Amino acid sequence: MSTATIETATPVAHEEHAHEHHHDLPWYRKYVFSTDHKVIAKQFMLSSLFFLFIGGAFALFIRWQLAYPGKPVPVIGSILPATWVTEPGSGIITPEFYTQLLTMHGSIMIFFVIIPFAAGMFGNFCIPLMIGTDDMALPRLNMWSFWLVPPAGLIMLAGFFTDTGYAAAGWTSYPPLSAMTGLEKFTISGQTLWLISVFLVGFSSIMGAVNYVTTVLNKRAKGMKLFDMPLTVWALFITAILVTLGTPVLAAGLAMLFMDNFLHTSFFLPDNLVTSSKYFGGGQPILFQHVFWFYSHPAVYIMILPLMGIVSDVMATFSRKPIYGYKAMVFAIAGIAFLGFIVWGHHMFQSGMNPLLGTTFMLSTIVIAVPSSIKVFNWLGTLWRGNIKFSTAMLNALAFVSMFIIGGLSGVFMASAPVDIYIHDTYFIVAHIHYVLFGGSLFGIFAGIYYWYPKMYGKMLNERWGRLHFVLTFITFNVTFFPMHVLGLGGHMRRIYDPNVYDFLKGLSDVNEVITIGAIGLGFAQLILVFNVLYSLKKGKRAPRNPWRANTLEWAAPEHPGHGNFDRDITVYRGPYEYSVEGRKSDYWPQWEPGASKTVHHHTVAVEDDSRSFGSH
Amino acid sequence: MDRILSYFDMLPWFPENTSTFGGELDSLFAIIYWISVGIFFLTFGILGYFLVKYRYRHDRRGYNYHGNNVVELTWTVLPTILFAWIGLYSDDIWERTKYSSRLPQADVQVLVMGKTFGWQFLYPGADGEFGRNAYTDRDNCRKLITGLNPFGIDSTDPRSMDDFTTENQFKVPVNANVVMHGSSQDVLHSFFLPHARVKQDVVPGTWMNIWYNIFKTGKFELACAELCGGGHYSMRAEYEVLSKSSYDAWVDKKVAEAIAARSPQPTVAPSADTATVASLTK
Repeated sequence: MSTATIETATPVAHEEHAHEHHHDLPWYRKYVFSTDHKVIAKQFMLSSLFFLFIGGAFALFIRWQLAYPGKPVPVIGSILPATWVTEPGSGIITPEFYTQLLTMHGSIMIFFVIIPFAAGMFGNFCIPLMIGTDDMALPRLNMWSFWLVPPAGLIMLAGFFTDTGYAAAGWTSYPPLSAMTGLEKFTISGQTLWLISVFLVGFSSIMGAVNYVTTVLNKRAKGMKLFDMPLTVWALFITAILVTLGTPVLAAGLAMLFMDNFLHTSFFLPDNLVTSSKYFGGGQPILFQHVFWFYSHPAVYIMILPLMGIVSDVMATFSRKPIYGYKAMVFAIAGIAFLGFIVWGHHMFQSGMNPLLGTTFMLSTIVIAVPSSIKVFNWLGTLWRGNIKFSTAMLNALAFVSMFIIGGLSGVFMASAPVDIYIHDTYFIVAHIHYVLFGGSLFGIFAGIYYWYPKMYGKMLNERWGRLHFVLTFITFNVTFFPMHVLGLGGHMRRIYDPNVYDFLKGLSDVNEVITIGAIGLGFAQLILVFNVLYSLKKGKRAPRNPWRANTLEWAAPEHPGHGNFDRDITVYRGPYEYSVEGRKSDYWPQWEPGASKTVHHHTVAVEDDSRSFGSH
Repeated sequence: MDRILSYFDMLPWFPENTSTFGGELDSLFAIIYWISVGIFFLTFGILGYFLVKYRYRHDRRGYNYHGNNVVELTWTVLPTILFAWIGLYSDDIWERTKYSSRLPQADVQVLVMGKTFGWQFLYPGADGEFGRNAYTDRDNCRKLITGLNPFGIDSTDPRSMDDFTTENQFKVPVNANVVMHGSSQDVLHSFFLPHARVKQDVVPGTWMNIWYNIFKTGKFELACAELCGGGHYSMRAEYEVLSKSSYDAWVDKKVAEAIAARSPQPTVAPSADTATVASLTK
């Protein structure tokens, strides 16, 4: 225990008592079925990294087939399961398995990597520490929220063992394709398992979200007003509200689709279909798309808003400057979240819904570009006149901003409904998706890992390997995904097994090849991060309490916080971004350190210099 | 300057445009594209400049400045105006292309039916009218749809005598308003003509309007653009845009074939060649 200051007699005793009690727990209560938010966060991270590699492997199969259609997969082709290939041992993927690959790639990345990482991992790790409290409001619910995820993931992967293989109707699983399996009622197919899996993972999200909202509203440290919270917490808080409002709608859609798929009802199946399946008819396929996208559009904001908050905090810390326009940033997050509920139809412009809805959804979609632009400008404003340190976390945060600009700009094209006529269901959309989800969310996740690893494990990650991981990832990422814009403009459709069938696509085979080479490099580059994470656990340099000299409350906690987090009482005296304050020798001023200041024309000025920074080295 | 710009010009990657509203779509794309390129260079330029100019030096300090509401308002209002303009300009083209009320007068009408995994087309023949089928008479004819009768044609209607179908290929006249009505007999498909910039999902149980006017003759491809199963990639069809006279000649030929296929076989007078064995042994 480090030396505590004056006011902490009783609380320290309480913390010590809690600490001892923690030591009495058996190993499976400490590390497996733990209610400690930090352990749960690490569990989310482990699970997400595991699924990242599975989803990434599926993507590499897809990329191989697109670059070299009909050629055997190298190295492991001959040992692929017989159901995946044209003949046992041929190594050539079948068109049917190809549709399973693309379905599983998207589904795993969205439901088992990005959402659990962004909301589950960072939500759990950051919220209690950054608001200065000991744990979440509902720790046992928190444990359940994690423990739904691995079983749900295994259920989805168990599709491998069914007669039909994995789900194969795309991560969007549109009926009738996802409902009409030609199987008897009560037959479990890969699609059925997919539906159960996503339904369960939805519950995990909702449980987590309820916890975050409750914790943020009720457990902030003394003196912390809502507008003293760092943007990471604001973003996670608003995201949690999105989750609670949107996910139940997905659950409803999945339940109806499950009934069509498993019980042969007809929510989404019209009559007189030419098919071997038996069902009632009278349903409406487009209805599913409305219900599905009503959640899935807010879902994309669930996947990016937490990272926007994290990137803001990382950028302020390493620019040694307040975030530019903190309140505007909060309102922009709220604006994106709110508008996110009224744009879902832009996924359905060409679906055959009433074109009048195309007009209305186009106008709301184009407006959502505004708060996103505001955020980009504010990030640039944060760098302006800063004193920028290029740590690995900062490099990844800068990659987030720059790749998000590209992803956001490509989004404007598809927001225009007439342009979408051409680019819908082409690789232009795939390019956009991956610029915002990988170029955005995943780089943001990397930034968060490099930033908070010292607080998670009391060790520093190796900066040189961090930079290598960053440079290789950044380069291969752009080599992989930028040319997809070109493919899309050439008319290259999504989800096709062999582009060579089409004369108009013949000129694009070189582009497909370049993308595949980039993708292979991108996949292998991630091994550097995993190696760094695992190696540094044991062999990393010991981390000081506040290695980045940052202001937010988590850095007041000990190097590797135990159960209960803080070793002293926390009171908040100012906002989270008081860097480079005038009249103060130190270029940062932690929120928990006493001291008076005043605001003069958008600047903070110290009333007296009080440079006793607890936790600086 | 033009040479430098040409390196950033993605527009040549489009397949050649062949339709009237395709030209409008390409122009709108170009407007959004060059605006985006401008914004890209502006933001990346500022970013790069700041990263170099404000890199860490220990004799410097950051500038504690929390933000400025006037600045925020400015960079809220200006993008809003820009994006709103893009939206309203786009909507004009959208309405003219997709609204049913703006569907042009059809020079040619064709029905298209997607299935796993192929496309079938129904033409109304020389009389220009469809016989009763699942499009014209939904209530009665939907139940006639089968694999062999994808359009649910009621063959008792004399007007359907000259209706003919084609499979995985179709022809249209140049410079004519082609109005198609599309549906699917099983799962979702999407009718995608890349050169004509046409795309419309076709949904089982209902019919979608698809219209275009192509100004260039030649052979082009149709692709499916909605995942419909393992064979999704193979749902290719070819279509040919013909001069009016060639198109009319083709229609006449197809009508004649259709009528011949539907007429009862002509009776042949009995002769030694055609007598049955039984009659010979009488």
